[in-house]
Amino acid sequence: MKPTLSFSSLQVGDAVKPLDVSLTATMIVAGAIASRDFMPVHHDKEFAISQGAPDIFMNILTTNGYIARFLSDWAGPGARVANIRIRLGVPAVPGHQLEFRGEILKLEENDGEGEVEVSVKVSNEMGDHATGTAMVVLST
Amino acid sequence: MSEEEKDPVWDKLAGWIGKPLTKGGPTLSPEDVNLPMIRHWIDAMDDRNPIYEDPEAAARIGLDSVVAPPAMLQAWTMPRPILEGIAERGGVPTEIDPDNPINILDEAGFAATLATNSELEFDRYLKPGERLTSESVLESVSKRKQTGIGTGYFVSWVNTFRDQDGEVVGRQLFRILKFNPGGTL
Repeated sequence: MKPTLSFSSLQVGDAVKPLDVSLTATMIVAGAIASRDFMPVHHDKEFAISQGAPDIFMNILTTNGYIARFLSDWAGPGARVANIRIRLGVPAVPGHQLEFRGEILKLEENDGEGEVEVSVKVSNEMGDHATGTAMVVLST
Repeated sequence: MSEEEKDPVWDKLAGWIGKPLTKGGPTLSPEDVNLPMIRHWIDAMDDRNPIYEDPEAAARIGLDSVVAPPAMLQAWTMPRPILEGIAERGGVPTEIDPDNPINILDEAGFAATLATNSELEFDRYLKPGERLTSESVLESVSKRKQTGIGTGYFVSWVNTFRDQDGEVVGRQLFRILKFNPGGTL
């Protein structure tokens, strides 16, 4: 099993391991249905276009799901994601690469737990899809 | 519109701040936290954190069972959909609740919706067999604002998720802009 990050080895400014996803319609539909979100804009291209969108687009639950994956792919299985706070931007649509980036903003030790606050920026070629912060907790 | 000008739409909606958006108390999740839905999720996101499906991996980090991916919090309490007519309802999964106070904005012409913020907090991870409830409370309503896509109101609510014992396990603040496309103040 992949190791979990050691809190004492981290420094403010360290990068979160980047994640790039070459987004397909299948991934968007799979995420929407796995989160039980049947809004047609997430699976019906014709309907999405009628609503002014360029194509079907990722639902917010899936965006949060990928951000949680981005964090635990980096921090390891023993890390707990405590929050994800994002502002939503351009849609995540098929055919565009979705890039997940972040860095450590703050490190704080509390009751034997290490709180790691990171920035989160998810973008594609149209701009920022989601920006904000997240907190990962490690045991110390 | 000046600050002093009366805004009856805002006044009507502001009366709901701090109150639940749905009648009849918290909504019970249609399913227990369960492995099949966890597997659908981790396959959809290609999330290979082993603690979501391998009990031995979970044990190695001190958990007594596998746990659900944290961002599934809201997925557990999503209503079972009525697919027929979903496009006509603007994507709303079940019948539109005529008493939801956000309808006040639709009726006043601010019918378009743009999601702007999501803030998820996870107090702990959930195990298969747990059953959640969620309750939405209106948190705030901005004054009418001019935005790049029209005039409207930022509406925020907080969903509080509780376990079968009534303990809070997480929260989600959700903010949308309800707007009149192309409208001006």
